[in-house]
Amino acid sequence: MDTLINLMDGLASALTPQNLMWAFLGVLLGTAVGVLPGMGSAMAVALLLPVTFRFDPTSAFILFAGVYYGGMFGGATTSILLNTPGQASSIATTYEGHKMALNGRAAQALGTAVIGSFVASVIGTLVVALFAPVMVAFALNFGPGEYFALTVFSFVAVAAVVSGSVLRGVTSLLIGLAIGLVGIDAQSGAARFDFGSSSLMDGIDIVIVTVGLLALGEVLYIAARGKSAPNFAAIRTGRPWLGRKDLRRSWKPWLRGTALGSAFGPIPGSGAEIPTFLSLGLERRLAARRARRTGEEDEFGQGAIEGVAGPESANNSSAAGTMVPLLGLGLPTSATAAIMLAAFQQYGLQPGPVLFERNAELVWTLLASLLIGSVLLLVINLPFAPLWARLLKLPKPYLYAGITLFSVLAVYAINTSVTHLVMLLAVAVLGLVMRTFGVPVAPALIGVVLGPIAETEFRRALAASSGDPSILVGSGISIGLYALVLLAAALPLIAFLRRRRADARAVDVKEPVERP
Amino acid sequence: MSPDGTDEKHTAGTDPSETTDGSGPPETTDVVETRGTETNTADTAADTAPDPETTVWRGPAAWIVPALAAILGLVALWGAVTIEAPPNATSPGPGAFPGAVGALLLIIAVCMSVVNLRNQGSGKGSSPFAWFESRPVLLVLVGLVAHTALLEFVGWLLAGALLFWVVAYAFGARAYLRDAIVALSMSAAVQVGFSLGLGLNLPGGFLELVL
Repeated sequence: MDTLINLMDGLASALTPQNLMWAFLGVLLGTAVGVLPGMGSAMAVALLLPVTFRFDPTSAFILFAGVYYGGMFGGATTSILLNTPGQASSIATTYEGHKMALNGRAAQALGTAVIGSFVASVIGTLVVALFAPVMVAFALNFGPGEYFALTVFSFVAVAAVVSGSVLRGVTSLLIGLAIGLVGIDAQSGAARFDFGSSSLMDGIDIVIVTVGLLALGEVLYIAARGKSAPNFAAIRTGRPWLGRKDLRRSWKPWLRGTALGSAFGPIPGSGAEIPTFLSLGLERRLAARRARRTGEEDEFGQGAIEGVAGPESANNSSAAGTMVPLLGLGLPTSATAAIMLAAFQQYGLQPGPVLFERNAELVWTLLASLLIGSVLLLVINLPFAPLWARLLKLPKPYLYAGITLFSVLAVYAINTSVTHLVMLLAVAVLGLVMRTFGVPVAPALIGVVLGPIAETEFRRALAASSGDPSILVGSGISIGLYALVLLAAALPLIAFLRRRRADARAVDVKEPVERP
Repeated sequence: MSPDGTDEKHTAGTDPSETTDGSGPPETTDVVETRGTETNTADTAADTAPDPETTVWRGPAAWIVPALAAILGLVALWGAVTIEAPPNATSPGPGAFPGAVGALLLIIAVCMSVVNLRNQGSGKGSSPFAWFESRPVLLVLVGLVAHTALLEFVGWLLAGALLFWVVAYAFGARAYLRDAIVALSMSAAVQVGFSLGLGLNLPGGFLELVL
């Protein structure tokens, strides 16, 4: 009950014209970056970060949350119409969604995607409102040892799960951790890796890292791909519309997708892809079973509306789900959440129990504005989805020139320092190298944000026990987390070994002579 | 796969004209199914570049990332040894964490080298240099360097417009005059928007003296 009252209070303070404007601006921007391939909500939030320093924190977070949700809505439009997912979270939508569009059912596909996203955002946000306080109550038992275990868990989960190759995921994470080392050590005050430069003494600003890796790195990478970069061609559209039959087929996948997204959103490293693909697989299996039992036609492979409804609600509720550990524990589980955590830190706020105690108003206003954002997104997406798809007709040179200009601006705005621009250039080249060699950048971002937290908690734990390392495994919570670490580390290893055995068998059959 | 914002995945060969010409499944299907098999070679992807996240590195380029990891690891280790801890620092001092990160980076570099050597023998994989187009990349970098160098002398308006124009040129815009007008108006809009809306002063450069 408390939760509902708090949420109502939040709603009341979120409904000021100013906050509404920020929410609207956020969802508008989020939808735009969601539509455009190669841009994501993480990049948009990173570019906005320095600009919003001058705002009060509530407005800034309303803006960020709107961008985050909007990205999930916008991604669907291009997946369906162009088979070009705007974000990784909408890849699963392309399979059935684009086939529906090719069959002339683009309107229904867009309709079920937008309404499904709306349903999932609202339910997902309510789940956050209910569970974040529970998470906070749980987190009150956390000491430095437990927090350290938590960061180790997310490092391993992110590095092992996010990328195609574990080795590259770990490389990315370590690069991020190394970048996070630069600057004055918070515990002892010793200057580290400053190489005699006073700018480096303050550390490498998170804005530089995110803008460099995500925005400028992407621009350079697309330049490098030249002709093989995506080309946005003609668009066939339709106004989103759902008939009664489609509605009947959609509502169950919406709810199932929402449940999957909410369950996986809070887990570090799972991101939005895992629940979307799980949802797609689940709907496909259910459709096959329905076809066997009732003889109802299984449309999967030819454009089944269930295959759009499920994944699209899953990615939205997973975006909501990442808010639970972010607000409750200060633990980011996606790249966008990592940047939002950095934003909290820049405002001197520490997500977790303290935030709920001292800045309760901000938290509840934020949650309430997520609800408002969902409604706004429904309004700007349902009638205007074809209009959003037209964004792809923007000339590509101007689009990337614009991103470059804003990247430079965002970094210069931190402290009006040209030295920061030089650092940006270095990080952007690093981002280009990582992308070119397929080293994922998300683990690096999590490493930069969580690395200093992990170090601080580790050293605080040891200081509290005066050097006795047993404090690190001193409670059931930390032992449980380390067990999860081992599990997260073991899963890809087992998959790798099984794959290798299968490969070896295949080679044996084909060319038995060449085997050493 | 990568979470939102890091969308290398589908920049790989999602040219719609290709997927609609009636041959085979869309490229994205390809990407997801070959994920993690580590054997996605360039010749399966025809003229489009392969998805970098699952390709095996080959040739001299394969050593760039291991070398990067090794250098970073050495710097971190060097720092761990040379950082002067203040006398009052508690037992795991400021050098402990850099030491751990540095050691792990070196281990990773060794692992990647081993993988490289084994791949070199097996003959699979591809070199990123096969598709990497360095000209536009260099152009963008030159634009950024010029912008950084000029910003405080000629002011945001001109430096920003120059950057926009160069990047647009690198991406293939050839309507020079129109590009210049777009570039100038973007730069001006940003400057006006920022000083009016946010009170952020971007450098005016010599124009400030003239006007």
